[in-house]
Amino acid sequence: MIRLLPAPHREPRNGAADDRAARAAPGIAEISATVGGLIRQGRPLPVVLATLCQLFDAAVEGYCSSVLVLDHTGARVRIAAGPGLPASHLKHLEGRRVSWIETPFGVKNKAKAPVIVLEPPADAPRESQEAAAAAASAFRLPEVSPILSLTGEPLGIFALYRHEGNPDVVRGHSALISQFAHVASAVIERMQSDEELKRSAALLERTQQLSSTCCFSWRVETNEISWSKELRQLFKLGAADVPVTLELIGAGIHPEDLPSFHKLIARARGGVSHFEFEHRIRLSDNSIKYLRVVAHRTRDQEGQLEYIGAVQDVTHRHDTEEVLAKLRAELARAARITSLGVLTAAITHEVNQPLAGIVTNASTCRRMLAVDPPDVEGARETARRTIRDAERASEVVKRLRALFCKKGTTCESLDLNEATREVVALSLGELERNKVMVRTEFAAELPPIQGDRVQLQQVILNLFLNASDAMSGVDDRPRQLLIRTERDEHDRVRLSVRDTGVGFEPQDVDRLFDAFYTTKCGGMGIGLSVSRFIVESHKGRLWATPNDGAGATFSFSIPCKPQDVRMIVTGQVRCL
Amino acid sequence: MTVMARRPLVSVVDDDESLRESLPDLLRELGYSVRAFSSAEEFLASDCVAQTRCLILDIAMPGMTGPDLQQELTVRGQEIPIIFITALADECVRARLLERGAVECLFKPFSDTALFEALNAAVRGS
Repeated sequence: MIRLLPAPHREPRNGAADDRAARAAPGIAEISATVGGLIRQGRPLPVVLATLCQLFDAAVEGYCSSVLVLDHTGARVRIAAGPGLPASHLKHLEGRRVSWIETPFGVKNKAKAPVIVLEPPADAPRESQEAAAAAASAFRLPEVSPILSLTGEPLGIFALYRHEGNPDVVRGHSALISQFAHVASAVIERMQSDEELKRSAALLERTQQLSSTCCFSWRVETNEISWSKELRQLFKLGAADVPVTLELIGAGIHPEDLPSFHKLIARARGGVSHFEFEHRIRLSDNSIKYLRVVAHRTRDQEGQLEYIGAVQDVTHRHDTEEVLAKLRAELARAARITSLGVLTAAITHEVNQPLAGIVTNASTCRRMLAVDPPDVEGARETARRTIRDAERASEVVKRLRALFCKKGTTCESLDLNEATREVVALSLGELERNKVMVRTEFAAELPPIQGDRVQLQQVILNLFLNASDAMSGVDDRPRQLLIRTERDEHDRVRLSVRDTGVGFEPQDVDRLFDAFYTTKCGGMGIGLSVSRFIVESHKGRLWATPNDGAGATFSFSIPCKPQDVRMIVTGQVRCL
Repeated sequence: MTVMARRPLVSVVDDDESLRESLPDLLRELGYSVRAFSSAEEFLASDCVAQTRCLILDIAMPGMTGPDLQQELTVRGQEIPIIFITALADECVRARLLERGAVECLFKPFSDTALFEALNAAVRGS
């Protein structure tokens, strides 16, 4: 084990040798200038440190300096430079473990004064240790100074070797050694931060590629915009020297998204702390990309407003979502149509069969009685069959009623606002696709009502979809849907759905809720009658009024006093 | 027997029992002789196919459906006038069946007059 003690900080003693060495020593300004020049030229770390060592070796006769840098673990040393030392000598120091021990001596103002202990690798072969000892024999044990970062963290060691036979003058140069160690620390830190920067830049680039993210900065006052290489590629901007301007970005943005873009710019100029924006861009090949922009406000070095942001290409996700939303809407519609369609067909079939028997038997009966002489026996038989078929029809209706009762309902306390909000969230996609603008005006405090949440939500959904359908052909005015909740004067909560659709004639108002009344092509006309049935079984009322302007308003109200509502009536299937 | 022979034979094929009871009575009142079958297969297996002047045929039946039977008869070269009857009113289905040569397609419940007119057209046509 070679124990290296730090050079204690002492003022140089007066003496002939000291004077001679001191005269040759370059000033700290000179060292810094030379080394700084090399760094600016982008010379590699070992070259810069070797030059530093050469400067020292030239200044202090009879000594060879070296710089040992701690590796990333901080526990072992790497040889960074030692131009005056034989390679064999340097080799035996490479990879040695270093320990830092508290000592009362030390660098000025450093609480931790290290003792550096270089230990040979435990597994080093005996020959190499012997060779190292032989190599070291030409030199005296070195003097060392720790190389510390600005924050006092050890970065490496500045080690000096004296040629055998040369006088020991180094103690007179402790200030100079400290200065060299100081410059070395600056060099190492600078180099390490450069390396760190390169690494993090590479990491950022890779991350951006992986997450399809690009970055930008925008100085608001001067409109200076800088884009990452990836963002330029995303916009398919060719040459790197084309300056990015707001106009250039605006030209790429999908025309339909431009108004929101301008609004956003205005908001950002106002100095919002953060903005997010999702928009489309149209590329030169007419393809569309969906981008998501997130930016944070900051101040640049001159204190000017600047946004730093990231742009993510979300085209793939958007496409997937769109397909999903379409599928969901189609499924909902198909389920609505098919479940009602299948149900209607089954009921029609079941009822029409006995009806056919009734009509046929009654016709036969009449004919049997009309002949001369009347076939009374035959007529009696057909009349019997008529009654039997009528009873069968009645059985069908009873069975249907049983089927509907069996479904069961649940009664719970529910907030109409919340129930409506859920339906809005569910149907918003489809409404937007139908270009319907949805506005909600929810009463601030709505008392809870008692009822079956799912059934009431079906009613609400039905009203939304009816309104949307009623506006599907409207192109000369906005398709607006106003959903309002309120508490009325009779202690009921009310939901109204106002559209700007085709509306209805005042004389049709009573037929609207009849089963099978429909104005829609392909409609069953069953939705509103089922809706009214559900609302009435909640002791409520469902009605429609034509608007003053275009369209119609459908409303229902439900009493909010729990005692007003008994369990849902299940006696009638009049909606069918 | 001679009276029966003069009366044109109408075959009714319907899986609904009450119709198989009521319709033959009415048809007899209208002056036809009648055979009723509960399935298309039963009709094909009977000895009535060649003599049938008009077939009153339900559309939806378990096993061979009405339109299946219509096709089978065409394949066999048996051109029997067909009046379809159905409990499911579907104009698209009706149009398609008429296109394929059916005389009429009546939606249940149908009146005796409608049936009478369809039968007249069928028997006259044949």
